[in-house]
Formats: sequence, structure tokens, C-alpha cells
Amino acid sequence: MLAGVCAGLADRLGVDPTLVRLVFALLAFASGAGIVAYLGAWMLLPAPGAPSTSGARRIGGVVLLIGAAVLALHGLGLDNSFVFPLALVAAGAALALGAVSFGLRPRTARAVAAILVVAGIVVFLGENTRGSATALLAPGAVAIALLLVLGPWAYRLARERDAERAERIRTQEREELAARVHDSVLQTLALIQREPNDPRRVATLARRQERELRAWLYPSSEPAGDGTLAGAVDAAAAEIEELHGVRVEVVRTGDAPLDERTQALVLAAREAMANASKHSGVDEVSVFLDADTTHVALFVRDRGAGFDPDAVAADRRGIAESIRGRMERVGGTVRIVSAPGKGTEVELELPEAET
Amino acid sequence: MSKSVPLRRVVLVDDHDLFRAGVRSELGPTVEVVGEAGSVADAVPLIKELDPDVVLLDVHLPDGGGQAVVLEVAPERPGVKFLALSVSDAAEDVIGVIRAGARGYVTKTISGEELTEAIHRTADGDAVFSPRLAGFVLDAFRTGEAAADPELDQLTSREREVLQLIARGYRYKEVAAKLHLSTRTVESHVSAVLRKLQLSNRNELTRWAAQRRLI
Repeated sequence: MLAGVCAGLADRLGVDPTLVRLVFALLAFASGAGIVAYLGAWMLLPAPGAPSTSGARRIGGVVLLIGAAVLALHGLGLDNSFVFPLALVAAGAALALGAVSFGLRPRTARAVAAILVVAGIVVFLGENTRGSATALLAPGAVAIALLLVLGPWAYRLARERDAERAERIRTQEREELAARVHDSVLQTLALIQREPNDPRRVATLARRQERELRAWLYPSSEPAGDGTLAGAVDAAAAEIEELHGVRVEVVRTGDAPLDERTQALVLAAREAMANASKHSGVDEVSVFLDADTTHVALFVRDRGAGFDPDAVAADRRGIAESIRGRMERVGGTVRIVSAPGKGTEVELELPEAET
Repeated sequence: MSKSVPLRRVVLVDDHDLFRAGVRSELGPTVEVVGEAGSVADAVPLIKELDPDVVLLDVHLPDGGGQAVVLEVAPERPGVKFLALSVSDAAEDVIGVIRAGARGYVTKTISGEELTEAIHRTADGDAVFSPRLAGFVLDAFRTGEAAADPELDQLTSREREVLQLIARGYRYKEVAAKLHLSTRTVESHVSAVLRKLQLSNRNELTRWAAQRRLI
């Protein structure tokens, strides 16, 4: 009506402006409280379009609103001895809660608020009790005042810290994901773009990336740990893929601990995979590991050129030493099935250890 | 495939256009791709309408996965056979699609020639076991705990032998030669394993899958 305060307030609160105007009109009859409240609200509310009001104007607004509350309570017939202390406490609480928005430094605001609240409580007690009771109640009043003033501040501080921590965890996760994608996928894509004309290299890069990503995405399907036979076989296969640009498809059931014997088996298997990659002429090698705690069998198979095992030249030390020698030293056996044109399969077996 | 091979009508369900295009170009002349879909919602009505011989089904789909497609289509179109095709190694996903009714599982690195063969095998009602699936099944049926229904809950030693050879990378024909059996016999062993996998209530099977998800 006058300065658009009722409409502004209604807009803020999301109620009908008429209702707000009615409340102000009624309040105006209570010792003129409505008029004072109207002025206070006008000082507090920013004009439409203006970003916000100044600190000083806001303090004025709050003082006027509290004044209006005092007048209204007067109008209701309450005693001065009750109303004035209440006004002091309310002013203190308003300061404590709104220090920042009033443009005051938090420490100053808290000090002023504490003084106001304590003064309010002491005045109230002084007016309403007699001598001895005051002496007992004053410390309690101070404690309540401190709680009122410091409570909201401590609560807000705790809330901010929680929000900060959650945000920090989110950021950390995002950074970890970004780092991983950068270290792996982006690097691989960059490498592939640099060497697009070398299909073998591209295939190797893609395969390695696939393996890494898979191990990260589906950790549940790769229960093999670092210290187990299955993990070591996976690692050996990965190395061979990398070194020779072939695909090594590992299928495994069961697992066994990694010890001297199984370690020898892994090395022999690695040699067999390397041979298949180098001599078979095909680019896919199958590995099957069947293990439990007592018995281990491992098969390395390719569908390549094959050879006549009886006619192997003496200089092919790979099979004689690296595979057969290794396995026999730990009590294992080797069987090689191959024929020209029929591919090759190397079977490595470790029977139950005699302990 | 020198004999006169019937032309198989196939629907491709995979959410990657590039992958579908790759499969289409790799399949031999005995396979005709009659339709493609990229999601469960698109696939279900399309398969019901086209009634193909075989559906090549990605295990992972954005709105539910291959399992959902099988479960929705199979009751209405019992003639349609499903072959799961995936890059996923996650055993529980693969076993899930198989238990829903797929006739087999191959990995996406399979060659076009082998895939064509697998489609014909699926269309004929046989089971298609890649080395990886054989490994999963051996693992799942591994423990020696007493089974409630030995008929369904355990593998025979012959079935185990066949699966082990498949896991080693043998094709059915090679398995047959190695074990001195006919290819037909090998196929029936594999189909029997598939049936056990689908029907067994064996506790270990679910527990095994659950463990893999949790570890």
C-alpha cells in the first residue's frame, strides 16, 4: 500500500498479500505495533530489483521489529518487567543468528549478543524475584545466555564441516576416476592415434587396455590375487601378450597358493606361451588352468603350424630346459602333443606334493 | 559347411551400433540379419514380431540386460533360440542369461567364422560353450558337497572331461576325436550340461554366483 512492504513480504512468505495487510492493520491497534513493524520490515526487505540492503539498515530494521514486538506485548497487557527483558534477549538472539547478514564481524556480534542476552535475563530475574534468589539464579542465567548465543554458531560450524568433508570425498573420487582414465584409456587412445598403421601394435594396445579396464570394472570376476597361482598365470599371459602381440585367452577353475613348485609351473607355462606365440604362426593362444590344493594341471594350446616333437633340433633349448627341466625338478610332468599342421598343446602337471 | 545349409534368420541385440555393424559384416552368407535392437524395450517387440531362428544377445543392455529379453520373449516364442554374446567376464551375468534360457555364451572376440558356426549350432537346438563358459561351469559344479539331486546337481565324469577339453580351447570336433566319440555325442553331452545348468537348484550354484559378486 505504502512502500510495497506487504506485497514484498507476502511474496517472500508465499501467502496472499491481503492476509499480510490484515495482520499489519490489526497490529496497528495494539499500541501502534503494526506501524512500527511496517517500518522495520521496510528497512529489512530489499527494494524489488535491488540485490540486498545494507548492514546498518538491517540492524535498524531488527530494532524496529523488536520494538514492535514490545509494543504488541504491551498492547496485550503484559507487564514491563516481563516485556523489556524479553526484548533484550530477542535482540541478542537475532544478533547471534544473523551476525553475518548484518555485516558484523562474528566475534563482535557474539560479544554484543551475549551482553544483550545476559542483561535481559538478569533484568528479568531482578524484577521478578527477591534478593537471595537472584544470587543463585544469576550464574544459571549467564550459562543459558551463553548457550543461546554460542549454540547456533557451534551447530552451524559442525554442519559446515560435515558438508566440507562430503565434498572432499566426492572430489577425491572424481579425481581418482579422472586419473585412472587419464593414465589408461586416454594414453592408449593417444598411442593408437600415433600409430594407426601398425595393426599389430594397435591390437596389442587395445588388448592391454581391455585387460586393465576389465580388472578394474569387474574385480569380482577376477578373484585371483597377486600371491596366488591363478594371479601369476594371468600376469604371465599378460606379459606374453605384450611381448609378442598375440592374444592369450586364459580360462581357469580353482586356484592354489604360489610356492616353489607352482612358481616353476608358471615359468614353464610362460615359456610354452612364448613358444606358441613365436613359432605357431597364429595370433591366439589358449591357456587352461585347472587347480586345487592338491593337484594342478595347466594346458597351453595353439592352432598353428605344429611340429614333430621327435625331430626337434637340439638347439631348441626352450622345451628341453625351460619347460621339461623346470617341471621335472619340482616333481611335475610335461606332455607335448603336436604334429605338423595340427597345432600344439603343452600339458603341465603337478601331482600332490609328498610332504 | 559344404552341405546345403539352411539360411538362418537372426536378430542382433546390442547397444553398440559399431559392434552390430561389425558382426553383420563378419557373418557368413548362411546367416541373414533380419533385425537389430539396442535395448530391452526395443528388442522384445521386435523379436516377437520377426520370430527369428536365433537372437544374438548382449549380456549387458542399458535397460535390464539380456536376461530380461529372454524372460520376456521365451514364453511367447518358444521357437526362438538365444545365444549370449558379451565382453563381460562376470560369471554371474553369464550364468544368469544361461539360466534364463540362452543356449550358450560366446565372447565378442570370437571370429566371424566361429560365430556363424555357433549360430547354426544354436538354431539346431545344441548348446554353445566357449572355453570361458566351460571354465565357469566347471567352477560352479566343482565342490564335492553332497547334492540334493545327483541327476541334476552333478556332472558325470564324461561331461567333466568334455568341458575340460572345451576349456582348453578344443572345438567340438576336436573333443570328439580326442575322446574317440562322435561329434553328435559330444553335442549331447554339452546339451546335458546346459540342461543341468538351467534346471539345477543346487545351492552351490547360487552361492557360488553370489560369492563372485561379493568378493
